Amino acid sequence: MTSSASLHRRPDRLGTSTVRTLLFLLRARAVLVLVALLVLFSALAPSFLTSNNLAILTKHVAISAILAIGMTFVVLTGGIDLSVGSVAGLGGMVMGYLLTQGISLGGMVHYPPIILAILLTIVVCLAVGLLNGWLVAKAGVAPFIATLGTLYIARGAALLLSNGKTYPNLAGQAARGNTGFPLLGQSHVAGLPLPVWIMLAFFAVAAIVATKTPLGRHVYAVGGNERAARLAGIRVPRVKLITYLVSSLCAATVGLIIASQLEAAHPATGESFELNAIAAVVLGGTSLMGGRGSVTGSLIGAFVIGVLSDGLVMLGVSEFWQMVIKGTVIVLAVAVDQLQSRLQARFLPYLSSATTDEAE
Amino acid sequence: MSTPNADIILEARAITKRYPGTVALDGVTFRAHRNCVNVLIGENGAGKSTLMRILAGVEAADEGELLFDGTPIIVRSPREAAHHGISIVHQELSIIPNFDISENIFAGREPVKAKMLLNRGTEDARSAAALRRLRKPMPVRTNAAHLSLGCRQLVEVARTLDQGAKVLILDEPTSALSTAEADSLFHVIEDLKRSGVTIIYISHRLNELLHMGDQFTVLRSGRVVGKAPRAEVSRQWIVERMSGRIASEDVARRPSFAETVALLEVKGLTLPASAADEAAQAPLHDVTFTLRRGEILGIYGLLGAGRTELLESLAGSRDAFAGEVKLNGVPLGIPGVASAVKAGVALVPEDRQRDGLIPEMSIRENVALASAGGLFLNRAREIDRVRELAAELNIVAKDLELPVTALSGGNQQKVLIARCLMRSPVLLLLDEPTRGVDVGAKAEIYSILRRLADKGLGIVFSSSEIEETQALADRVLVLCQGRISAEFSRAEVTDQALFAAASPVVNASTSISGVALA
Repeated sequence: MTSSASLHRRPDRLGTSTVRTLLFLLRARAVLVLVALLVLFSALAPSFLTSNNLAILTKHVAISAILAIGMTFVVLTGGIDLSVGSVAGLGGMVMGYLLTQGISLGGMVHYPPIILAILLTIVVCLAVGLLNGWLVAKAGVAPFIATLGTLYIARGAALLLSNGKTYPNLAGQAARGNTGFPLLGQSHVAGLPLPVWIMLAFFAVAAIVATKTPLGRHVYAVGGNERAARLAGIRVPRVKLITYLVSSLCAATVGLIIASQLEAAHPATGESFELNAIAAVVLGGTSLMGGRGSVTGSLIGAFVIGVLSDGLVMLGVSEFWQMVIKGTVIVLAVAVDQLQSRLQARFLPYLSSATTDEAE
Repeated sequence: MSTPNADIILEARAITKRYPGTVALDGVTFRAHRNCVNVLIGENGAGKSTLMRILAGVEAADEGELLFDGTPIIVRSPREAAHHGISIVHQELSIIPNFDISENIFAGREPVKAKMLLNRGTEDARSAAALRRLRKPMPVRTNAAHLSLGCRQLVEVARTLDQGAKVLILDEPTSALSTAEADSLFHVIEDLKRSGVTIIYISHRLNELLHMGDQFTVLRSGRVVGKAPRAEVSRQWIVERMSGRIASEDVARRPSFAETVALLEVKGLTLPASAADEAAQAPLHDVTFTLRRGEILGIYGLLGAGRTELLESLAGSRDAFAGEVKLNGVPLGIPGVASAVKAGVALVPEDRQRDGLIPEMSIRENVALASAGGLFLNRAREIDRVRELAAELNIVAKDLELPVTALSGGNQQKVLIARCLMRSPVLLLLDEPTRGVDVGAKAEIYSILRRLADKGLGIVFSSSEIEETQALADRVLVLCQGRISAEFSRAEVTDQALFAAASPVVNASTSISGVALA
């Protein structure tokens, strides 16, 4: 047995409290970065902190936040979902098709009411999620490849639906009984845009599922040690399948919100959205190896990206520089994440009072 | 059909299990006696773990049936096995490292409240209760990644207790434990036995088996070759059945090396302990020894004694060590695998699958892997050289272009040795040279290594098997908790002396035969 004196010898150079503080700062880095950005931009652009601007900002954030929330579950299992941007685009197009073209049954064209159209859209998008889940969990295709494939498939389907054209006028017609769709993306409830409420609802449900339900715990278990999870009786393929369904549900929601905001569905909508979502997840401290991270982190990560891009726009920074800065932030975030895990692996056994293994 | 025997709680009847190329179990009948420690012994690859995986529902048998209390049962998954009261603690612990203790204990069978929400209160209370039953109270919110191996294992045992296990299978539970941890595990087993749990215990450490076991079953090459209660069992009995030959075989005498040139000099090698997430690194303290040309040096020690760490330090894959390593009188420079290889050091790692073979590649490509120098590959020369080595090491394969996974364990091991020889090393390091290799191939590998040593190659191997150490080594160093605790010449080596020198507790109190090196 090693004596406790020797256990505490190593961190001396830095001092236990310094290490503790450092680790705390690293763990809270997404929040710190967010606060720093808010301070920076409000100092540089006086109009940044106005409620009007913040409302616009939050509306922008809602899009990538909802995608990031769904993506979090996939990433926690050690997977990735590259198809979300395409699925969002496909969702908007399906909705546009149903509202403007209708469904022809027996020579008659039916225009489904809004609620039914939304449900049908979600079903189509879930089918893509189901395909993703099946490919990854049952067919054993690497998540990156499987969802790269469905990224193209969904985008192609969206283009095929309208032959590449945009569906305009999604406000609907009273004669067809399908008005009201713009409310989804444009209305306000209790002073906040509806998409922001939707984001908060998704966040609340996702956070509870992730931390308070067996399903959430199984997601973490699969990402932590898939073999151990299987031996513990967790149905690993089912857990993975569910995460891809959740991700595509989030993507469908985003597609619907964008179509509603624009009152038009464009087949290229959502291109490269998956990258923003993944960036938000990673910035929020979720490990791409799976098993570690949180939905809350992803929400904060989405805000970091949102504040960064809107702030840079307000400062008049060129679009090209924006990309460079965004990329730098993402790479730094992951580098810092590695630093954190290394520090933790090295010092946590010395810091934690509960390390046990006391002598008999 | 025999009448149900009240004494037998679990019976595996005429179990056969085939894998591509091998029959792992060939009509094995195994009976677990109620409230006993049922010991299952056999060499690596004898089929012990396969049989246990079948009992625990991890794998399905091709033929045969399972009977619980005389009634046939079907177990298709670990879940169903647990439902019947059969639980297993695997040799490779299946802890989820990002979970705390109670999350691990309840993974896959979480208690819920309000039909959907996790019930942490219940989990923590039941986890604490299970740990108390094991006499090892630990804070249940401790992250599993920070636990010692012994504690991780107890967490798994606690899990089976909470599941209401009636039959608990322990697959080589002490292989990774320190002596103190193993001792406390034996107390736990005694406790469990008293509280009505039947234990099935797999190990190949004879001392602990003779100490713990009530009923003995010996497996060899997928067949039961011996069955007896403790009273009829002796060390001799076990060894003879395990190896299938009379113990104390003759060993080829080899010359003494005292006057030969020193090949490797290691002075004051020290390595700090570390507790990285995956594998904890055992420390080394002031390890000093000399290896002469043509000598085979065995490093014996229990798991965690620092055997792997020592070999990997010599091979340059552990950084941050202090001390001096000289090869042919020249100090090995900066630690690093590349510089060690350049100096002529080659390591055959312990875990073939993880650290050695590249399964997607052919036998030839695996052998030639690290030897390709220069800008372009010289295919023709490579093929010639690999062929030569394959013949020399007697690698049995129809075609060297076959995937390496088509080979048996023994031949895969020879592939790795061949890879090392491709680089014409002067020092060959082998970590557990015959792990997962059958008896016949073992003897063959020993004779290959002796032949290589006769040609002047220096060989250092580590082993946790007493028999192997005795069979192969010209000289044995015993590692115990990172220090060299004893050195034996071939003539001096005995089972008892090796085991005593390797066990920390005995080591401190009693003197041992052999030359103690402080």
